[in-house]
Amino acid sequence: MSLALDLKTQTLASARRLAGDSADLGALEAISFPERKTERWKYTSLQALADGHLNAVASGELSQPLPALSEFVVTITNGILSSSTLPDGVSLKQESPTVNGLETPFAVYNSAVAQPVVLEVAANTRIEQPIHVQIQSASDVPAHCNPRVVVQLNNGAEATVIEHIHAEGQSLTNAVTALITADNATLTHYRLQGEHASTLYIGTLVIDQQGVSTVNSYQLMTGNRLRRNDVHALVSKSGAELNMKGIFVVRDKSHVDNQICVEHSVPNCESDQNFKGLAGESGKAVFNGRIHIHPGASGTNAELSNKNLLLNAGAEINTKPELEIYNDDVKCAHGTTVGQLDPIQQFYLQSRGIPAAEAKRMLSLGFVNELLMSLPHEKVAEWAQPWLEAELTHASPAGDAA
Amino acid sequence: MLEIRDLHASVADKPILKGLNLTVNPGEVHAIMGPNGSGKSTLANVLSGRDNYEITGGEALFEGKSLADLEPEERAQAGLFLAFQYPVEIPGVSNMEFLKAALESVRGAQGKEEWDSVTLLRKAREACKQVSLDASFLKRGVNEGFSGGEKKRNEIMQMMLMEPKLALLDETDSGLDIDALQVVAKGVNSLRSPERGIVLVTHYQRLLDYIVPDFVHVLYNGQIIKSGGKELALELEQKGYGWLTGEEESA
Repeated sequence: MSLALDLKTQTLASARRLAGDSADLGALEAISFPERKTERWKYTSLQALADGHLNAVASGELSQPLPALSEFVVTITNGILSSSTLPDGVSLKQESPTVNGLETPFAVYNSAVAQPVVLEVAANTRIEQPIHVQIQSASDVPAHCNPRVVVQLNNGAEATVIEHIHAEGQSLTNAVTALITADNATLTHYRLQGEHASTLYIGTLVIDQQGVSTVNSYQLMTGNRLRRNDVHALVSKSGAELNMKGIFVVRDKSHVDNQICVEHSVPNCESDQNFKGLAGESGKAVFNGRIHIHPGASGTNAELSNKNLLLNAGAEINTKPELEIYNDDVKCAHGTTVGQLDPIQQFYLQSRGIPAAEAKRMLSLGFVNELLMSLPHEKVAEWAQPWLEAELTHASPAGDAA
Repeated sequence: MLEIRDLHASVADKPILKGLNLTVNPGEVHAIMGPNGSGKSTLANVLSGRDNYEITGGEALFEGKSLADLEPEERAQAGLFLAFQYPVEIPGVSNMEFLKAALESVRGAQGKEEWDSVTLLRKAREACKQVSLDASFLKRGVNEGFSGGEKKRNEIMQMMLMEPKLALLDETDSGLDIDALQVVAKGVNSLRSPERGIVLVTHYQRLLDYIVPDFVHVLYNGQIIKSGGKELALELEQKGYGWLTGEEESA
């Protein structure tokens, strides 16, 4: 039997165990898992899942707790809410509204089985401190979990959410995160993904701008055994604005696949995607940035940039902008590049006494620094900078000139 | 301190230096002049260890050590400094961060006392002031968006902080207006000392109005064809290079 069929059988069986025999699994039954040749999964093999992650639910504990980046923390362990401290104006429910834009079979499976954590910010309320949502998982054996977080900002609400994913051992995090904004809402969203290299992550992030709202999303990630991020942004009310910035770093044999789709369905909205990628050793990164401008979405201003740095031969980056435009009256700029460290820059640093390996580290960090510097929350920047710096340093290939 | 004997060097397999001899002692200022394409910049690049500049014969010794055996960073650690003809822009790496890494490495290698960040910042601000560079440049990316003159002043500012034993200045005067030239010259002159050697590579005599050399050498076709005192530069200014090279000056 093919892996795709295996995965379908496994998820259906798991869904019956987790959701009960009476659960409606129609959507899951109707969907197919990706085959080797499925275009959207072309560069990401699911072979690692042959280890059987979907047959068991993760139940381990982290070797040490994550640091709290705010006074307000929500912790979801192995897919289940384990604790929460929230400010006034934010309520927590465990009943999910319908989440639009979920398309992958993994997201559909999550919909069938997840115990959602819904954070709702009251209308016209400004939450000063960020809410740190820790999504953690651990397992010594191949196993998975299904966290589902929905952040809902009502009219005029303003908040910052740090979505922080961490996993250890052989855990597969199969996640759905949805950000839903009403009129005049402003959401700042961070996504920090620095799980252990042995873990897997497959997730969909939905940004559903139902109202005239502003969403700023900063997505920082390192690679692991398998990381697949589907980001589906629905910019669906005139005047809405979406800014996404991201950094991905793949070293050793790690993998990151970002599939981003921004849909403009109404006139006069703005979106910007600016991602930077770094790949070293045998790391592999995929970036597919899609902008879909529907008929009638005139006056759209959409931008996409993905610049990448290959640190050595053997590393791989596949990047593709994908524009689908059904309108004349739009501005749509895009650019993707893959380059290498500039030998002249490296020589300049070395000529000032800076050893080659350190020069490479400085140049790599310099490449992503502009984005790191723009993080509006100091606590996040303080945490993110050494994390990414360590990622750029730790895996300097052996035998590299020092 | 610098002893160059019968040096041959190639760039991308093309021979450029063809038996160059030069001795620089501590305290001396040497000017190397010559028409375009004579090998002046190649000499500076070979000495600082740039990729693709290959020594194919002879030797260049710095304090008795063969430069060919040293990586570019080891040459800097040994006390060699090259002021670039075209300083490189490095967005995302701040000037200050760059200076900190460079000084930590070089001072450490030379057994000099380490500067803490307060001392470093103070010294860097002083050096900026000496070359009329606003201290805000320390926060900017290395040479990022600097004008031609600002880049050259940034080179001299670095040089003042690094306190090299031997400074090589590759066409530092090119692209400078007269005010900037004076600022740069003032910076270089402040570094003149009995322990330090300075080699100025330049096409024009005008820099030598401000930094008066002890020796002037004419480089042509990969060899030094004439050496003299500072008056040689004045003679070159009047007569051009043609009377030495036997060619009509084109520029």
